[in-house]
Amino acid sequence: MKKTSEQQIDQSAKFAFSFFVASAGLWLLAAAILAYIAAAKLTNPLFLSSWEFFTYGKIKISQANAFVYGWGGNSIFAVSLWIVARLSQSPVRGTIFLIFAGAIWNLAITFGLLGILDGHMLGHELLEMPKEVWPALFISYLVIAFLILVVFRSRRQSVTIAPQWFIIAALIWFPCLFLFAWNGLEINAGRGTLQAILSMWFGQNIIWLWLTPVALGCAYYIIPSVLNRPIDKYYLAIFGFWCIAGLAPWSVVHHLEGGPVPMWVPAIGTVMSIAMVFPIAVASTNFHATAFKDVSRVWNYLPLRFVIFGTLSYTISSYIGVIFSIPAVAKLTQFSIINEFHFNQRVYGFFSMIIFGMVYHILPQVTGKEIGTAAKNFHFWTSALGVFALLLAYLIGGLTHGVLAQQPSLAWITVIESVKPYFLITEFAFLILGFSQLVFVLNLWKVIVPNPFSCCEKNVEQKTA
Amino acid sequence: MNNIFKFAIYIFLTLAFAWLAFFVGAKNQYGDLEPTSQYLEENNSIPKGADLFPQSMPGVAQLGAKEYLSLGCVTCHTQQVRTIDAGFDVERGWGKRPSVPRDYILQKEVLLGHNRVGPDLANIGLRGYTREWLHKHLFNPQILVEGSICQPSPFLYDTSNENSEGAIIVDNGESTLFIKPTLRANRIVSYLESLKQDYELPEISFIETQDEDDTEDSKQAEVASTKDYPVGVPTWLATQIESGKEIYMKAAPGGGLCFTCHQPNGQGISGQFPPLAGSDWVLGEKERLIKISIHGLMGEIEVNGVKYNNVMAPPGIPPGSLTDQQIADVLTYIRNEWGNSASAVSPEEVATIRSTVKDRGPMQMWTVAELQTESSSD
Amino acid sequence: MSSEEIRSSGMKDDKLVDEHVRLNEIKHEPTKGFLQAPLIFVFVFGCLIFVCSIQLAHTTNDFALHPPEEIIELTPDEKEALRIERKISSGEKIFAARCASCHQTNGLGIAGQYPPLAGSEWVTSDPGIITNIILKGLKGEIVVKGETYGTTAAINMAAVAINDSEIANVVSYVRQAWGNNAEEIFEDEVASIRADSAEKQDQWTGDQIISMYPESFAK
Repeated sequence: MKKTSEQQIDQSAKFAFSFFVASAGLWLLAAAILAYIAAAKLTNPLFLSSWEFFTYGKIKISQANAFVYGWGGNSIFAVSLWIVARLSQSPVRGTIFLIFAGAIWNLAITFGLLGILDGHMLGHELLEMPKEVWPALFISYLVIAFLILVVFRSRRQSVTIAPQWFIIAALIWFPCLFLFAWNGLEINAGRGTLQAILSMWFGQNIIWLWLTPVALGCAYYIIPSVLNRPIDKYYLAIFGFWCIAGLAPWSVVHHLEGGPVPMWVPAIGTVMSIAMVFPIAVASTNFHATAFKDVSRVWNYLPLRFVIFGTLSYTISSYIGVIFSIPAVAKLTQFSIINEFHFNQRVYGFFSMIIFGMVYHILPQVTGKEIGTAAKNFHFWTSALGVFALLLAYLIGGLTHGVLAQQPSLAWITVIESVKPYFLITEFAFLILGFSQLVFVLNLWKVIVPNPFSCCEKNVEQKTA
Repeated sequence: MNNIFKFAIYIFLTLAFAWLAFFVGAKNQYGDLEPTSQYLEENNSIPKGADLFPQSMPGVAQLGAKEYLSLGCVTCHTQQVRTIDAGFDVERGWGKRPSVPRDYILQKEVLLGHNRVGPDLANIGLRGYTREWLHKHLFNPQILVEGSICQPSPFLYDTSNENSEGAIIVDNGESTLFIKPTLRANRIVSYLESLKQDYELPEISFIETQDEDDTEDSKQAEVASTKDYPVGVPTWLATQIESGKEIYMKAAPGGGLCFTCHQPNGQGISGQFPPLAGSDWVLGEKERLIKISIHGLMGEIEVNGVKYNNVMAPPGIPPGSLTDQQIADVLTYIRNEWGNSASAVSPEEVATIRSTVKDRGPMQMWTVAELQTESSSD
Repeated sequence: MSSEEIRSSGMKDDKLVDEHVRLNEIKHEPTKGFLQAPLIFVFVFGCLIFVCSIQLAHTTNDFALHPPEEIIELTPDEKEALRIERKISSGEKIFAARCASCHQTNGLGIAGQYPPLAGSEWVTSDPGIITNIILKGLKGEIVVKGETYGTTAAINMAAVAINDSEIANVVSYVRQAWGNNAEEIFEDEVASIRADSAEKQDQWTGDQIISMYPESFAK
C-alpha cells in the first residue's frame, strides 16, 4: 500500500517523537513524586525531615524545575517537531542528533536537580539549577530547535498559519529569554533588586512565552484538524498572536507590586496584564466557537476532550489571573497560595492537558498502535478530578490565606491553621494526579515499547495479505 | 510572518523592548545606588562621619545567607516589606517602614521571595528573638510554635542526651535533648539576626503606627526576647572585617597565610594548631594578640583548655611583612567571625605595641611565659 | 466512531494549511454577523486602553524610584532636638565599637585597669580634656574618682578614620551618658584642639592634662 506523505512524515518522526515523549513521561512521574512529597510535607512537617536532601524548599523547587524543563521541555520538543513536520509537509531530519541532544538535555536537568537537592541552588526563579549545567541545557536546546527550524524552512506552503506562528515563536523565545537571564543574573549581574526584576521576568515568561504558546499552537492545529472545519473567526488569530507577543513580556512583572522596585515596573505590568484580556478573548473565541459547533465529536474523541479541557482552563485561569493582578486584590493575594493556583492551573490544567491530548492524537499515527479508549478515559477522569480538587483548594485556600493574613490581630500561626485543611486537600489531589500520570506513562509504555510478540503478528499479516 | 529570519527578529524584539525597559531602564535609574546616610544635609550631601546605610553584613551572616539559599527557605518566606498602599506589612508589624531598592544593593543574592507560607523575614532581626530561640526554631519549630508547618532541620545540630558546653536545652514535653549548633546553624542564625531595615533613608522614613506592639507577632517575640538588641555594624567595621578576611585567606604576598593552619573555619587542627573560634586568646586582651601577630609564637600554649605545642612563624608572606593596617584588619576579622564578637583593633594600637617592642628581633617568636610577664608589668 | 475513524474523517494537513491561508487572504469574508464581531472587539479593546491608561497614570508615581512620601516640616525646636538626637546616637555607636571594650558600655571601666567615664571630672568638665586624650592618647598614672589607673600603650586614634565630627559625636555622647550632664562639643572646637596639639608626637601624661585644664581639677 503506497504510503501517503502524512504517513511518511510520521515514519520519519517516529523515533525522535517516541524518545521525547518517553523522556517527558518519565520526568512527569518524577515531578509527580516530588510534588506529592512537597504537599505531604506541608501537612506533616516531620515527613522526611531528618534528611537534608529533602528540605521542603529543595523539593518544591526541584519539582518546579523537573516539571517545566523535564516534562515541559521534552513534550514541547515532541509535539512541536511533529506539528511543524506535518504542517510543513516535510520529513524530520537529523533524528540521531535530536536524540543525542535530547539525552544531553535530560542529563543536564538530572544533574541540575541533583545540584539543587545537594544544596547548590541559585536564587533565580526557574533557574535554580546550578549554572554549571546551563551551557549543556542551552546547547542541546539550540540543536533541537535548529533541527525543527530546518524542517520548517523546507515547508511546502510558504505562507504560515496560526499553529506555526505560536510554535516557532516559542522555540525562538526560549533561547532569547535564557540569554537575557544568563547575562543579567550571572555574567553582568545587576545589583540589588534589579536581579529580582529580571528573575521574575524570566520565570514568568518561561510559562507565558514558552509553555503557553506551544499549547496554544497545538490547540490551533488539532481543533480544525479533527473537526474538519477551519478555525472560526480565524482572521482574529494573527491579531491575538501579536498581542500576546507584544503584551506578555511586559505584563509578567505585575507580581512585584508594592515591592522594593520602582513603582512604574509593576504598574506597567498590571496595565499590560489587564490588556491581555484581549488576546485571551481572541484565542478563546477561536477555540471554543469552533469546538462548540461539534460538541459530540469533541467529547467522543478523547484527545480533543483533553485539549478543550485545556483551552477552557486557559481562558478561565487567565481571566482570574487578570483579576488577581489588580492592585486592590493583589494586596491580599500577592503572597498567598493563589500563586500555586496560577502555576498549577497554567502548567497542569492548561499545558499538561493539551499535551496529553496531542500525545494521544499523535502516538497512534506515529507508532501505528492504538491506545485503548478505556485507558484514556480513566486517565482523563483522574486528571480532571485531580486538577479540579487541586485548583479549588488553592483558590479558596489562597483567598482565605490572603484575607486572614491582612488582620494584624491574628498571629501568623492562626492564619496557617486556617489554610491547613486546604493543604490536606492538595495532598490528596497530588496523590490522584500522580496516579493519573502513572496511568499516562503506562499508556505510553504500551505503545512505545515494542511488544516482542507484535512483530510476529505483523509477519503473519503480511504473509496472508 | 513568512520569512523566518524576519519573524525571528520580530520575536526577539518583543522581548528586547521589554528587557530594555525593565532591566536597562531600571538599571539606569538605580543601578548606581550607593549606601547613604540616614539623612542628608541642607545641600543634599552626606553629613561627615555619618554611618552609611545599608551596611554590609558581617562575614558570618554572609555565609548564613548562602545557607539560607541552599536550604530553599525562599520558597516559604519573603524578605520585603510592601508599601503602605500595596500591602498590610507595616500594619502587621513586620517592619518600621516599607523596603526600598537601596536596602538590597549590598546583597549578593536578593531573595525577595513570592510566597508567605511563613512570615516575612525582612526585619526578623528587629523582633527581639534570641539566638537560642532561633536555634530551637530551626531545630524543631513545632516545639516553639505549636502547629507550625515550618520544616525542622535537625541535621544542623549535634543532638545528645547529655549536656555539654554551649548546648541548648530543648524540652519537647517527652524528653530533654541538648543540641549543639553546628557552624552552619550559627551562620544561619547570625544571618537572620542581621536582617533588619531599622534605619531611615533620605527617601523613606519610619511609618508611625500607633499600636505596633499590639500585633500578635510582636507579642510572641516579646515572650522570646531579652530586649538586648545587638549593635549595628558600622561601615568602617564591616570594611575592616572584609579586608581582614581577605588577608586571612590569602596565600600570596600581601596575605597572612593564616587559613593553612587555623583553617578557613577557624577551628585549627586538633592537636596541632589551636582554634580561633571562641578562643580566649583571640577574644581577650589585644596586646598579646597583637604581639603574636607581629612576631609569631612558639612553645606550649593552652587554648580553650587544650594544650598545643607548635611554632607559629610571624604572619605574612614573607614572614613578618604584614603592615599595621593589615594586622589590625585581620585581627578585627578573627575577633568577629565564627561566632566571635569582640571589639575592633585599630592600626594605631598595633603601631603603639610595635613601637614598644621595636628592639625585639623580627623573627624572635614569643613564648607564653614572655607574654604573661609583659602584660603583668602594666 | 472509533478514534481512527474520527481521525481519518478529519482535515488533511495540506488542506488545513491551504484553507487557513486562504482565510487570511480573503480577510473580508461575507459571513453572517461579520460586522458585529470586530465592532465588539474594537469597543472592548478601546475600553481596555482607556481603563489601562488611567490606571497607568495613577500608579507609576511619575516613574520615580521611590514611593511617594509626605514631607513634614519640623519646627526649629524639633529640628534642634532631632540634631542632638542624631549626634548622641552616632556617638553611642562609635563608643560601642571603639571604646566600650575597655571602658565598658556602662561607662564604669574595670577596676584597676580602665577608668570609669561615668561621673568622672575628666569627662564632664572641659570637653577639651577627653578630646586631647582621644587625639593623642594617654600614658602614665592618673587619678579618677579617687582611684589610680595607669596606662602604658594607650589608644591613639588620630590617624584613623575617626575624624573631627566623629570625635565631637562620641565626646558629646559620653558627656551626656550614664547620668553625666555636660554640654556637647562641636566639630570646629575639635578641629582647633587638633590644630593646637599638632606638634605633640607622643601621648599626654596625666600631669600635662591637669596643667592644661587647671580649673577642671581644682577641688
